[in-house]
Amino acid sequence: MKPLLETRKLTRFFGGLAAVNDVDLQVAESEILGLIGPNGAGKSTFFNLVSGFHPVTRGTITFQGRDITGMKAHEVANLGIGRAFQAATLFAQLSVFDNVFNGFHRHYQEPVWKAFFHLLSVRQEEQNARRKVLEIIDFMGLADYAGRKAQNLPHGHQKILGVCVAMATQPKLLLLDEPFTGMHPEETAVMMKVVGKIRDSGVTIVIVEHNMEAVMRLCDRIAVLNQGRKIAEGPPDEIARNPEVIEAYLGSDEEEA
Amino acid sequence: MNREKQKKVLITLGCVCLILAFLPVFTDSRYFMHLIIMTCINIMLGLSFSMLFSTGLITMGAAGFWGIGAYTSALLVLKAGLTFWIALPLAALMTVFVAFVVGIVIVRAPGVAFIIQTMVVNMILVQVFGHFEFFGGWAGLLDIPAPNPIGPITFTSKTANYYLILILLLVNILGFYALYTSRVGRAWSAIRLNARLAETLSVDIFRYRLAAFMISAAGAGLAGSFYAHYFQTLEPDMFNVFKSIYVQIYSILGGLNSYILGPVIGAAIITFVPELLRVGKEIEPIMTGMVLIFLVIFLPGGILSLPERVGFFRKGPMASSPEKVTVETEDEDVP
Repeated sequence: MKPLLETRKLTRFFGGLAAVNDVDLQVAESEILGLIGPNGAGKSTFFNLVSGFHPVTRGTITFQGRDITGMKAHEVANLGIGRAFQAATLFAQLSVFDNVFNGFHRHYQEPVWKAFFHLLSVRQEEQNARRKVLEIIDFMGLADYAGRKAQNLPHGHQKILGVCVAMATQPKLLLLDEPFTGMHPEETAVMMKVVGKIRDSGVTIVIVEHNMEAVMRLCDRIAVLNQGRKIAEGPPDEIARNPEVIEAYLGSDEEEA
Repeated sequence: MNREKQKKVLITLGCVCLILAFLPVFTDSRYFMHLIIMTCINIMLGLSFSMLFSTGLITMGAAGFWGIGAYTSALLVLKAGLTFWIALPLAALMTVFVAFVVGIVIVRAPGVAFIIQTMVVNMILVQVFGHFEFFGGWAGLLDIPAPNPIGPITFTSKTANYYLILILLLVNILGFYALYTSRVGRAWSAIRLNARLAETLSVDIFRYRLAAFMISAAGAGLAGSFYAHYFQTLEPDMFNVFKSIYVQIYSILGGLNSYILGPVIGAAIITFVPELLRVGKEIEPIMTGMVLIFLVIFLPGGILSLPERVGFFRKGPMASSPEKVTVETEDEDVP
């Protein structure tokens, strides 16, 4: 089967430093791929390259058989790659509902001039979007918070909201940047359930994460980056036994807990 | 916004319009009418500033685009012999065109760079107006005719001009309101609140900001065209950066979070208060500058944030409790 996302020799230099170096990675449809590695391994840069925030120095990115190398962030998003950020990146002053509502931007079909005159067809379209927003909020377990301002939510809920907003774009591929960071165990459990539900709904997920336990339990496959290079790839139990991975993590193990 | 609220807004708007429509009946002071007309013009400029602000951009060039509208309209009437009614839309179009050309270059500039670039554009425009004889030079353009009469209606009186600018202002406000409440407005404020996130939600920041730049210029252009034929004299210095700073203060004083009501209130106060206090022309900028500094320090949300700050309308500590969630459902619209 053709991979959903494929990178070939993906490279990004910052000055003379290769943050991501010749990374070949394939993400199959409806799997959860974990991307792990010590700090500074290039995981976040990898996400930034795929989602179009940084220009690629060398190599190609293909999504659904289409070359998306060099596309801008909004174009990549429009193809169906959603992204939730590491620090809860939200519209802080807006309500939970409006945060998710903004995620529907790419689904409006009616032309702008109709939107300007607020024609019936546009209002219906927005009405449908509103209904779907409620569905998503409900699906992710935030229904009780719909009217709260995002900035007043507890940290764990903010991160779930971040995933909600990304889900509102109805992506085929979802990039989750450290979804479990800074969460206490209960929140982690909720987030794991959420991620599982998203996968079950047919969305492919790539997770960058430091919480090893969560990664090991959630992911179908794990790829390990170290100093910008991919050093291992395989099922979780195999990765856990891989000597090269263990070596890369030595000395940085304390941070992972 | 739900139906209930929409109704309230419409009723309030209706009342305000009614009062404004009959305003000339209550006063025959030409001076007062002049102030009202200037207020309307200033509101249009403030609206133009606020529209860009709604996308997260701060412009210091509003007066420049106002000038483009004014000069285009005046020249079309003086040199090409067109009537005001054709020159008015053409002036707006010209402003939009210049905004398009300038915008392509500068809209990508982040934050402070954009502020400085709009300021420079404003300065260049003033230099162009003043330097070339075609634009009347530093002495400016004189004897610009009043808007051509339509049938029996002539535009030589303050009252007629007042109604004209009132209609322009109303069209401006309605148009902007329609945009703000549409998905375009939502995309704009998404960009303002979090550009990075907006991008991952597939909002094309450049295009949306360029659109805002052009549309806001159209408003300023209309105001400029009217101003030229109302004031009947143009000087380059009327459109300098100082005016742009004033425009900025209108929006800040009223409240930056309200893209329409903010400039309306701010412009009205800044236009009226110094006149009512009989402040000398030399001292007035100093006072306005002090007002700006006080605002930034003590009331960054502007006048519209006052009730909330004072605690008048606070609905209690749990104003946004989950039970009170009202999601707009226009069920009757859905088959």
